[in-house]
Amino acid sequence: VIAGPLLLLVLPLLMAGVVYILLRWTALSALLAVGTAVALGIVVLTLPVDQPVRVWGGREIVLGETVTFFGRELVLQQADRIAMAFLFFTAAGIFFLAWREEPRSLLLPMGLGLLSLLSGALLIRPLIYAALLVEIAAALSVFALQAEGERPTRGGLRYLTFTTLALPGLLITHWLMERYALTPDATELLSMSAALLTISFSLLLGVAPFHTWVPAVASDSVPLAGAFVLTISNGAVWFLLFDFLETYPWLSSHPRFDPLISVASLAMVILGGLLAPAQRRLGTLMGYAALVDSGAALMALGIGSKQGLVLSLLSLLMRPFGLVLMAAGIGGLRASSGGADDLDALRGSGWRAPWSTAALLVGGLSAAGLPVSAGFVGRWALGRALTPSDVGAALILLLAGLGIMIGIWRGLTALLARPGNSENGQNQNTGSPDHSEGGLRAVVVAVAIAGCVVVGLFPQILAPLAIQLVEVYTFFTP
Amino acid sequence: VIELLASVSFLASMPAVAGVLVTAGLLVISRNWRITVTALALQYFFVVLLLTRLIYPEVAAVKGLTGWLICMVFYLTERRASAIEQTEVPEKGEPVQRWRRWVLSARASFYLLAGMLVSVVAYTVALRFPLPEVPTDITIACYLLAGLGLLLLGLSQAPMQVGIGLLTFLSGFDLFYVALEPSLAVAGLLGAVSFLIALAAAYLRAAEMAARGEEVIL
Repeated sequence: VIAGPLLLLVLPLLMAGVVYILLRWTALSALLAVGTAVALGIVVLTLPVDQPVRVWGGREIVLGETVTFFGRELVLQQADRIAMAFLFFTAAGIFFLAWREEPRSLLLPMGLGLLSLLSGALLIRPLIYAALLVEIAAALSVFALQAEGERPTRGGLRYLTFTTLALPGLLITHWLMERYALTPDATELLSMSAALLTISFSLLLGVAPFHTWVPAVASDSVPLAGAFVLTISNGAVWFLLFDFLETYPWLSSHPRFDPLISVASLAMVILGGLLAPAQRRLGTLMGYAALVDSGAALMALGIGSKQGLVLSLLSLLMRPFGLVLMAAGIGGLRASSGGADDLDALRGSGWRAPWSTAALLVGGLSAAGLPVSAGFVGRWALGRALTPSDVGAALILLLAGLGIMIGIWRGLTALLARPGNSENGQNQNTGSPDHSEGGLRAVVVAVAIAGCVVVGLFPQILAPLAIQLVEVYTFFTP
Repeated sequence: VIELLASVSFLASMPAVAGVLVTAGLLVISRNWRITVTALALQYFFVVLLLTRLIYPEVAAVKGLTGWLICMVFYLTERRASAIEQTEVPEKGEPVQRWRRWVLSARASFYLLAGMLVSVVAYTVALRFPLPEVPTDITIACYLLAGLGLLLLGLSQAPMQVGIGLLTFLSGFDLFYVALEPSLAVAGLLGAVSFLIALAAAYLRAAEMAARGEEVIL
């Protein structure tokens, strides 16, 4: 009998090794990475938790069987199933795009390794070990974020720094909670834990003023690896936050929980919305778009009800469509301009990389939460939920979306500038003149764009998952 | 290693704290990789000495070995980087005069002042907010390591300095946390975290040198 948690941890690790060895053969390595992620996503979503399923050679898989590892339990709970399926399917999408955008990069093997660690973080109990696994994942992310043959990325180091600084708070909280269980009268232990958890999760989620790693990861790294961190690693941290709220229900009922979340989310949305249109690099624009998106998810959580939780989860599920597409577009445009992503270097590149430009545009629309894109689904629903109680917050959210679109518009203006339209009358593009996107790359990007639009037009594809997931969490149940 | 630790156990109080202060201070001030790697190795030695008062010497020794392995990673990386840099010196001009090495630059003076300020703050905080489950001298060492590690993080964006800053910060936390959670699994995972941070910093340093090498060739 194979225990499900063991399969979810070991298989991606094994495949990471295989993919690393086969990295030279781009199609084969990408196929293996995508296949592994899709297969695990399907396994975790479809197999019954409590019944054995017979597979190869008479072996059986019991998905819900608890595994003990050095005295710690690895257990697949109902809430983890959808969370892990989200991680696996998003990773599959990123690996699929990486096949054409970042061939031979360390993203494929490292991504599989990270999937194993992040799955472990969601499965392991007690939660302190999850914090340690997230930290190890952050250290490994540095290898994927660093582009080969380029100077060290500020993003990878910043991300590692902020994750390391978040570690002590999460670990000490566990000890404080153990002490509180022994001395229930010592309520100051709860206040201390709440403060530590607030600081730690602010660092991990990039809440202002601890947001500086977010634009750094988006701008100074391999774009799709940056998107991996901002969607999958960050998504795992969100699910970890929900696990903490579920394990310690007094956190969400703390009198300062709602105001704190509201202030933090507003700060993120305002900061991202104000700074996005001022960016002259597409990478940093993507970073501030991610900041607004995280702020929106936090704003939904701040509603403090089941409806808010649904909207928060919906925002998380829709996020990859915007950010991954933007990253794919930026990656393609960088390749066409010799590695730079500032507007001056990219002037006129849109004509030579039309599919990358289209990916940037559609991804930007989704990150901004505008219609005909996946991001619109969550943002529109959140706006409608906020309007009756807090028109100001809804308006700020809308304006932040417009801020991102202004940034995208500025980018498009530069990308689609004709050689004769540049300020000094010359095409400043320094990229290789023979660069072209290629038919296969166009197909891959077109599929991703179509996915984003289809989910935007038919939200019923993903929305039920968010509703299903909320039923598992009880911390907002009156 | 355990016998060595037993023979110097008389140092495992304020002398070790002073050692931590000096070595962490050197890490903040110096940008010479030989001094930095030596200071980091000594810092791990003093941290291990203090750890022997909180956990089994065997576990402390394993933590020390992990730390010295990290120093070896840094040493090998910097030695290679130094060799590459030396080949570039003739193109950049005259090497630095020997006597200048012994004069504190304006940058080093500023770092020294900042390090002293952080040390005073760490000492004051240690007296006003003592950490639970650990004696006062170890509390001071924890705050010193965490404070000077954070200072190092704030002062530099170079991969090695950031890596060393993170490791110093983690050493301070580890010194405190072993008293709260003496579990071997946590100790092992924290060791893995430290080692991976060192590998990531070394990888980025190697990438920096490779990129510089390509620029020189171009």
